[in-house]
Amino acid sequence: MADFYQTGIIVTLHRLGRPSLERIESEMVEFSKHRPIALVLPALYTEFQAPALQGIIDELKKVKYVNEVVLTLGRATDEEFKKAKEFMAQIPYEVKIIHNEGARIKEIYATLERNGLWAGEDGKGRSAWIAYGYTLANARSDVIALHDCDIVTYSREMLARLCYPVVNPNIDVVFCKGFYSRVTDRMHGRVTRLLITPLTRALQKVVGFHPFLVFLDSFRYPLAGEFCMITDLARVNRIPWDWGLEVGVLAEVFRNYSPQRVCQVDIADNYEHKHQPIAGNGGKGLVKMCVDISKSIFRTLAAGGIVFSDGLFKSLEVTYLRLAEDTIVKYEADAAINGLVFDRHEEAKAVEAFANAIKEGASTFMENPMGTPLIPNWNRVTSAIPGILAMLKKAVDEDNK
Amino acid sequence: MEKFSEILFQPFRDFWQWFVKFAPNLMAMLIIIIAGLILAWLIRLVMLRILRVINFDTWSDKVGLTALIRKGDVWAKPSDFFGYAVYLLLAVVFVMIGLDALQIKVIDNLLSQFLLYLPRALSAILILIIGYIIAGFLSRGVLIAAVNSGYHHAKLIAEAVRLLFIILVLAMALVELTIARGIVIAAFSILFGGVVLALAIAFGVGGIDAAKRIIEKAREEKKEEKGRDIEHI
Repeated sequence: MADFYQTGIIVTLHRLGRPSLERIESEMVEFSKHRPIALVLPALYTEFQAPALQGIIDELKKVKYVNEVVLTLGRATDEEFKKAKEFMAQIPYEVKIIHNEGARIKEIYATLERNGLWAGEDGKGRSAWIAYGYTLANARSDVIALHDCDIVTYSREMLARLCYPVVNPNIDVVFCKGFYSRVTDRMHGRVTRLLITPLTRALQKVVGFHPFLVFLDSFRYPLAGEFCMITDLARVNRIPWDWGLEVGVLAEVFRNYSPQRVCQVDIADNYEHKHQPIAGNGGKGLVKMCVDISKSIFRTLAAGGIVFSDGLFKSLEVTYLRLAEDTIVKYEADAAINGLVFDRHEEAKAVEAFANAIKEGASTFMENPMGTPLIPNWNRVTSAIPGILAMLKKAVDEDNK
Repeated sequence: MEKFSEILFQPFRDFWQWFVKFAPNLMAMLIIIIAGLILAWLIRLVMLRILRVINFDTWSDKVGLTALIRKGDVWAKPSDFFGYAVYLLLAVVFVMIGLDALQIKVIDNLLSQFLLYLPRALSAILILIIGYIIAGFLSRGVLIAAVNSGYHHAKLIAEAVRLLFIILVLAMALVELTIARGIVIAAFSILFGGVVLALAIAFGVGGIDAAKRIIEKAREEKKEEKGRDIEHI
């Protein structure tokens, strides 16, 4: 059982006692009549070949409060899209699949591009964004929940707890992010543990008090890919299409709403999905992720009036390194008391790699402060191309016939 | 035996004589069609270049023309679509002209009918396109006005206006195409008249009290104005 400490300036909903799933789900069925829920699932075709997705589908089959599922499929041929459709037909309620590599959706992206609205490169950010667009076009749901498709430990309780604060009119938050621990025989979640938190705290030391840093530091797992929000947020949010997606979403939520209407909820005792190597090929791996995240944070702060200079970044690098090293000591103790494996050398190597990533992020930011890409929000898109949502709906509906 | 061979080969000789007479026409037809198709293709390329220079695609996206062609499940660029439509139209025209070179009476009649009908078909297409664009503008205008006036059913009103206007445009296009003219005019008059009458009755019945209040208020204001008049001694 977790503690009941309220972290920072947002609302934290803990897992206290043994909450009944049946009770939450029966309440959700009632709430969802007034606030219908769309579940957005960004997935690559490779995930259809992994066992995690079948587990997720088996759980979703039992859920009675979801109005529609919008699976946004990346890197799939037409043949694979058909197979994905057959696979998703197991779900007994409405499922629509967005075929991002299909001719119709490609034409939607081309339409955006020729009107000066670039939706970014293929990735989770763009996939999620197009799914929000379809949900807005469909106009059948008031709430959007999103989670990844590679969760090995998925249970429908995760979804229920994630959506509950947004659909319950008495709680009435506009955005809810999940949190959990990622522990097997060791602690995972290196980017959150060793980059985001130390970097946020280092920035607080170097630039002083800034509301966004306090907001970001309030999240126990700011990089969690699971969140739930009202559809209005999908309309006004601009999101990055690169690895800065999660931080970028938080920045937009912070910009548009009071922190009192934002919450984080404990959705699972443990969470397991694929692990990334520190350095990968072709712009993948944790280092690339850290560069994008750093840039996203710097850009958000710059937009909030913080003046960055070479001197500030040098101090930040040193402060970060110090704080991250202190953090390793804390986690070592945490691992020791819980009998977990803890490779201090590997953790130190990760911190060094992350410090370099911050340096790279800083230098890229200084070269071009406007360089961090953001996908325009749907309000702007519909203003530029009034018929785009109708086109998107037609494209998805035709693909799913 | 000689007579039999005469009977046997005479049809072939007749056919050959007919063919020798007809061959130049056939050649002319083929040349016209092939040259016409090449010309149509070139016109399409020039048209595409012009449409791209004037940013026709982005204009189409903005005014809703792209959305209109997407409704028909056409996913090509608007410029490509219109370029191809023009090519097809020209190809049909050149094929008809080519067939005319055969100098067959039935085809001559068909061609003259086709050429007479062509302007009507083009103007019907134009009516549909312009009508759809105006319907979009009208609907947005009504939506903005209704939202600013605080009506709860602003979207419904805007969609109703759009639907009515599109019915009007469709009726106009069908009349232009001379398809069941009488039925179209009668159906349109009944439908449109019915809707207007229904709205008038609904507004009249629902607005009796409001109208009464407005008239009474106007009367009272008039009375008050009279009472305020300063009478000079």
